[in-house]
Amino acid sequence: METRCSECDAVIVVPTDAIVGEIVSCKDCGAEYEVAEIKGGEAVIKPADQVEEDWGE
Amino acid sequence: MKASITFDRLRWEEKALKDEADSMGIEASLVDAKALIFDISKGNGHGLGDVVVQRCISHYRSLFLTRMLEGAGAQVVNRYEVADLCGNKLATTMALAKAGVPTPRTFVALSSEMVEKAAEELGFPVVLKPFVGSWGRMVSVIRDKPTLQSIVELREELPNPVEHMYYVQEYIQRPPRDIRAVVAGTELVACVYRYAPEGDWRTNVARGGISKAFTPTPELKEMILKAAMVVGGGVLGVDAMEGPKGHVVHEVNNTVEFKGAQSAVEWSIPKKIMEYIASTVKR
Repeated sequence: METRCSECDAVIVVPTDAIVGEIVSCKDCGAEYEVAEIKGGEAVIKPADQVEEDWGE
Repeated sequence: MKASITFDRLRWEEKALKDEADSMGIEASLVDAKALIFDISKGNGHGLGDVVVQRCISHYRSLFLTRMLEGAGAQVVNRYEVADLCGNKLATTMALAKAGVPTPRTFVALSSEMVEKAAEELGFPVVLKPFVGSWGRMVSVIRDKPTLQSIVELREELPNPVEHMYYVQEYIQRPPRDIRAVVAGTELVACVYRYAPEGDWRTNVARGGISKAFTPTPELKEMILKAAMVVGGGVLGVDAMEGPKGHVVHEVNNTVEFKGAQSAVEWSIPKKIMEYIASTVKR
């Protein structure tokens, strides 16, 4: 599945076995996206949350 | 058996847990915590199955969600008390020390004025850590008073009042590695050395640390399992160091990341974790 980076417009390839919630990143600019929805073989992505102070193990 | 694996950022670990659950015949769902809403004024009911495997990356989201789920009658791994204690370094250190688990000597200064006193009591270098946080983020080794003053000055500029209190720990002279143990219940699932990447003193896998498996001595194994029990048990990542006076446990992680440890062992860590979780479910 292919979609485009909203930062740099590069093509982002979303793996066919990707699931909602998975993180994909743009190979050109490094922007991270979360897979928001998969419908009709198309992946809808949204910008992933940025690291917060309380993130971790 | 039905299980929900709650997450807010899907990592390899959550997918691996789901895969193992599937192969064990557990009906497991990955549930995005960010998509949940709760009416906390109402009684029981959560719809997340027999057990919830709490895997949120955000400490507070994890804590709040666990609190609400337990309030709604769910069994959550790990329990709220465990998450609360492990997520707060002050509470973890106190619990370990009280139970006699060797842990680095630590002072908490409740104002910037008292940080220097704490550092002088410990002797430089000291380690300054945030109360909440992980992956070695904002953790600094401070070798002298001027550096300490600079860092304190910076911290005082931050808007969060928690940053204006200080967790100051003795610096343990250790080899360029520490120990990560993955514990599930009373089982030591994996024990690895984590080597610091070049150019960093921190060994966190999130910072490029490399894992190598080893067999712990019976004494170390006992210390690790005791540390896990002291914080309330469950699925945990116990971190230890080899100090000049022996091993010390410096942290217990509530939402253990085990990708690094998995790269160093041949058995499946997520399988052992799911087997433990399945064994705790009340039927």
